[in-house]
Amino acid sequence: MPVPGHVGSDYETLRPEFKVIADPYSGKDVLLVPAIVPDVAFIHALQADTDGNLLVDEKEDDFLLAQASRVVVASTEEMVSPDLLRRAAYGLKLSAIHVTALVATPGGAHPTACRERYGIDAGHLTEYLGLAKSDETFRTYLQRYIFDLKDHGTYLAQVGLAALAA
Amino acid sequence: MAAVIAREVRDQETVAVGTLSPIPAAGVLLASRRHAPRATVMIINHDDHWPFHNGSKEFYDFAQRGKIDLFFHSGGQIDQFGNLNVITIGQHDHPTIRLPGGAGSPMLYYLARRVILFRTEHSPRAFVERVDYVTSPGSSSPRVARSGGPRKVVTPLAVLAFNRESKRLELESVHPGISLAQVQGATGFPLGGPREAPTTPPPTEEDLAILRGPVRESVAKLYPVFARTAFLAA
Repeated sequence: MPVPGHVGSDYETLRPEFKVIADPYSGKDVLLVPAIVPDVAFIHALQADTDGNLLVDEKEDDFLLAQASRVVVASTEEMVSPDLLRRAAYGLKLSAIHVTALVATPGGAHPTACRERYGIDAGHLTEYLGLAKSDETFRTYLQRYIFDLKDHGTYLAQVGLAALAA
Repeated sequence: MAAVIAREVRDQETVAVGTLSPIPAAGVLLASRRHAPRATVMIINHDDHWPFHNGSKEFYDFAQRGKIDLFFHSGGQIDQFGNLNVITIGQHDHPTIRLPGGAGSPMLYYLARRVILFRTEHSPRAFVERVDYVTSPGSSSPRVARSGGPRKVVTPLAVLAFNRESKRLELESVHPGISLAQVQGATGFPLGGPREAPTTPPPTEEDLAILRGPVRESVAKLYPVFARTAFLAA
């Protein structure tokens, strides 16, 4: 697909799959890039209904990502009725046609934010960034937040989001 | 820096501020409360200043139609030709520092009519003779569709202007209390421009009151840490 700008940047050499051609309409040079088709997209929905339709954050790019990917695995903050989802004031409705699998997972966006539910957990992200510096310390992170915890509810309690656990 | 950036905003224009840009956000909000009340102000994902409802795609599509008059950008490296590097410092395969990558930059740098560059570190490693990688070039050949590009660079020391004839950055003004020699010493390439650079006009009392009052309050919705730490009391 054509992408405006970019011509004359080092993307031309760093990304050999990018091609510069003459635009057949204007005659100007234009950069072409292959479309990205992810095998799997993982997205977190604000709400989902019992038919698998999602309400996704309109300030994020989940709507686009879901349409680009072969398989879409969605988690959702909350399950609601199709009627309630239709009447949502904020967010984009992503049709179930794009969704491969759906898991009800309150707190599923943590340690990033979920609009009007919880903010970014800066302390947790800082801890993660520190521990992610080496394989050895990263194992500590995995042990602390995944392997040592018996289920998602325990994780939520551990990170201070126990109120979200159903 | 925010007060200098505010002067670049013209009334009735469409002005957009991208991610990780709290200083331009403050500057644009100052302008909209002062001389540019009818400017359309877009600050990415700000609840009061973001007109789009379909992620970054809708904004990029809007920008690709040439509808942004003024945009702001920074760079890990900025060189004398106005080239930006946000890819890698060092060798691409063995980076010294892996920068975040271009995202919309190599499109916005061509299609926003005027781009103001900002950098909070004015040093020889930030302002280099030639960038290690060109994410977005300062200028392009006539074979390339380009309606915009860099106009100025704002730092804590000075304002540089992009000369569209020579296609190079040169000194426009030096901030109060800073010497020309200090600016040249902090810049990794020879600065053209006047030998006696004028002094950047400092922010007025009114500017400071607006910045420390309503602007700070609005910026806090998107940049709480910046709002808490970067302003003196109102």
